[in-house]
Amino acid sequence: MLDWMIWGYVAYGVMYLLNKYWWTVPLERFYSTLSLPSWGWPLTILGTLEMAVLCRNLGRSLGLRAFGLEVWGAEGGPPRVGQRLIRLLAWHFSGLPFGVGVLVSPQRAWHDLVAGTVLQPSPPQAARRRAWLSQWGLMALLLLGLTIWLGWLIVHIDIGVLFRRGEEGLRIWREMLRPDFRYFAVPDPVFELRNLPYSILDMAVVTLFMALLATVLGALVAFPLSFLGARNIMGFSPVGWGVYFLMRGFFNVFRSIDTMLWAVIFAVWVLWGRPLAGVLALTVHTVAALGKLYSEQVEGIDPGPVEAVVAAGGSRLEVIRYAVLPQIAPAYWAFTMYRWDINVRMSTVIALVGGGGIGDLLFYYKNEGDWAKVGAVVMVIVAIVWAMDYISGRLRERIT
Amino acid sequence: MAEPYLVVENLTKVYERGQVVALKDLSFTVEKGEFLVVIGLSGSGKSTLLRCINRLIEPTAGRIFLSGVELTKLSPRAMRHMRRKIGMIFQQFNLIKRATVMTNVLTGRLGYNPTLLTLLGRFPKRDRELALKNLERVGLSEKAYVRADELSGGQQQRVGIARALMQEPELLLADEPVSALDPATSHSVMQYLEQMNKEDGVTVLASLHFLSLARRYGTRIIALKDGQLVFDGPPEAIDEVKFKEIYGEEAEEVEVR
Repeated sequence: MLDWMIWGYVAYGVMYLLNKYWWTVPLERFYSTLSLPSWGWPLTILGTLEMAVLCRNLGRSLGLRAFGLEVWGAEGGPPRVGQRLIRLLAWHFSGLPFGVGVLVSPQRAWHDLVAGTVLQPSPPQAARRRAWLSQWGLMALLLLGLTIWLGWLIVHIDIGVLFRRGEEGLRIWREMLRPDFRYFAVPDPVFELRNLPYSILDMAVVTLFMALLATVLGALVAFPLSFLGARNIMGFSPVGWGVYFLMRGFFNVFRSIDTMLWAVIFAVWVLWGRPLAGVLALTVHTVAALGKLYSEQVEGIDPGPVEAVVAAGGSRLEVIRYAVLPQIAPAYWAFTMYRWDINVRMSTVIALVGGGGIGDLLFYYKNEGDWAKVGAVVMVIVAIVWAMDYISGRLRERIT
Repeated sequence: MAEPYLVVENLTKVYERGQVVALKDLSFTVEKGEFLVVIGLSGSGKSTLLRCINRLIEPTAGRIFLSGVELTKLSPRAMRHMRRKIGMIFQQFNLIKRATVMTNVLTGRLGYNPTLLTLLGRFPKRDRELALKNLERVGLSEKAYVRADELSGGQQQRVGIARALMQEPELLLADEPVSALDPATSHSVMQYLEQMNKEDGVTVLASLHFLSLARRYGTRIIALKDGQLVFDGPPEAIDEVKFKEIYGEEAEEVEVR
């Protein structure tokens, strides 16, 4: 499977380059990265599959290598040429129809049975060093080169533009480095119109409290939830499993939605530009992220004290209070500090998607092209982030 | 004839993963006031047996009676209540390392106090006094407010004993209480157990590695091999032949003095 993907990737790259430089056939959507002629896709898929299978059977393929496996004859030793060919042929019947042969007997797939071969973990280390210099090393280098080349083309990278528009860049930097701090403590009259009579300092304080509130609320909610998401606390009853999976699922799903996306949702929900939207977004993501970190910590505790408290007649809550909490407290603090750090940084830019806070000023001035004021705001942001980073770093040092 | 204090009947424990049979149809009785030593190789089921008695591990089959009460039938709540009378000490001491010795000893009273109170870290004055008394008894009264992980192994096990004493137990389960300690410390710990047995009338079930310790402290010995009972009798009855039967042909007896 992995082989297929690797070869598919190579083939895709080759097709793309062919298309770009050599293919003169006009294609309708030739800006699209997926522009292959209509027969191209099935051909690519089949072709690469064949390549992968060939590769797999005539030696050790990249995929097998990644899993640390090797094809061996059932009697031991490398498979004979005949066996390899049979395995190759048989694979078309067992692997091709959606991998039935592998699914039906996962221990030893059909094509292995027919060819009299087995998959075995490859012997460690000894042979490996040489291998890197030979074909696999070369292969890896090729893939790396292909990736950079392809990426360059697909993303349309043009370094030259940095210099052609150098003037523009210089101008912005020059203006930003002469920051305009006139509205540091006094509200900028421009914002009176938007009914936001806040100075930079006001907004900085708002932003700080957004981060603090989100961290504290998030940690408070994540704390009890983390026990529900810990295998060793929930036990092995059906209800325990259910709650555990529900919690873990919740953590994983909500965590994979970025804070910025949450902010988009809440900005629409509670009104654009309100710090409330930002706080909610940060809080939700904090709950999920901390919940996962916390519960993994709970799962890693030494079960000894738990046993002792249970043996003394302690209840479930007493087990948590006396056997679990003391063990996880330092890590909980460290994680919370770390999250605080992240929240401070996020809160400064969350206004971009309507989350409120100091970023509001930043993006307003940016749109106005008022780079001197942008410079002032950026400096305040840098100061906040740096200060919080320092404080949380020191606190973390203290704890551990 | 009076009912024995502890009755273990056809006790079987099968661990689900890998279908390992830890205990096979094990039956024996213990009279009140006995110091019963369980011996056997590592993996012979000693720990599992002790943990089945206070149901830290759920037995697969069989019944256990304590003073006529069938433990194996109790609800989790009733079992929790019952555990108060069953003290336990562990091979790895199982102390809360980051808490003070005092807190560790007080956890022995958790079963006696309402959860609401203990969650706040509160214990009645009587309990605190009892804790100091028990710490004095194991010779650690100056260490009451020291963090548990600052103590030596022997001291930690004595904290474990003080914690068990807090339960004012009738029965003490000691799971290899001295395996992690050096010989000299082992004896001091064993003597505390002996004292509990003789002076407070606590029935003791202790699993031990060394036969010499078993002979010295036990009033009766049972031996397990592959989860089955292979010996049950007075310490003197274990001779060379019995010893080889329990520990295998290769074994050599090691003295701990």
